[in-house]
Amino acid sequence: MQQFFLIVGTGLCFLVLLCLYRGVFGPTVLNRLAGISAIGTKTLVILLLMGFIYGRVDMFVDISMVYSILNFIGTLAVAKYLETKGEV
Amino acid sequence: MIRTTDDVIIKTVSRIFTPFIQIFALYVIMHGHYSPGGGFQGGVILGAGFILLVITQGLDETRRRFSQKLDTIFCSIGLLVYSGIGMLCLIIGGNYLDYSKLSKILPVLAAKARSLGILGVEIGVGIGVMAVMYSIFSDIVTGGE
Repeated sequence: MQQFFLIVGTGLCFLVLLCLYRGVFGPTVLNRLAGISAIGTKTLVILLLMGFIYGRVDMFVDISMVYSILNFIGTLAVAKYLETKGEV
Repeated sequence: MIRTTDDVIIKTVSRIFTPFIQIFALYVIMHGHYSPGGGFQGGVILGAGFILLVITQGLDETRRRFSQKLDTIFCSIGLLVYSGIGMLCLIIGGNYLDYSKLSKILPVLAAKARSLGILGVEIGVGIGVMAVMYSIFSDIVTGGE
């Protein structure tokens, strides 16, 4: 079962690279925002898979929950900043 | 200055979401010696809840609920709890923040007193970090007025 989690985690890391491409070379700023937000969501799942691999998922649930909360607030803050500056 | 948002989805979701963030922050503070987290991390999450309120509901609405004067008081209370426990240990006869000496005034054993002392210090640090994060954010938002 650990082998399965390891393979899934590696695949998710590859998907993070694809999102990172959109975050770095995105044509507009909204593409970059969506790419970074998607990276945050994939990082959450990767953290949980790491918890399953190490056998201490009760610790990693806390970390991933904090990560998701901060990702949500960060995305909202950047969107608010762009709305205030009138760039979108 | 941050205005209030027009979007009803963001306003409603953040209003429902904020109490859960705060309860999770309290869990991180209280459960800090068994799992990742502690006073600073819990305080940061608690401050992030207030930052979410400022972003979505506007600064005026948030200041009506949690004024700057109250924020300064909370900041001082956090520092007072932390340094008060430390100085209490110093007065009783140990080193600064030597919690095991607290068993002289509490009716518990030294190990239990150490656990309670760490919990008290974490609560103080959490309150202080929450107040300072909210104060820094509102300073940045208003441009230091």
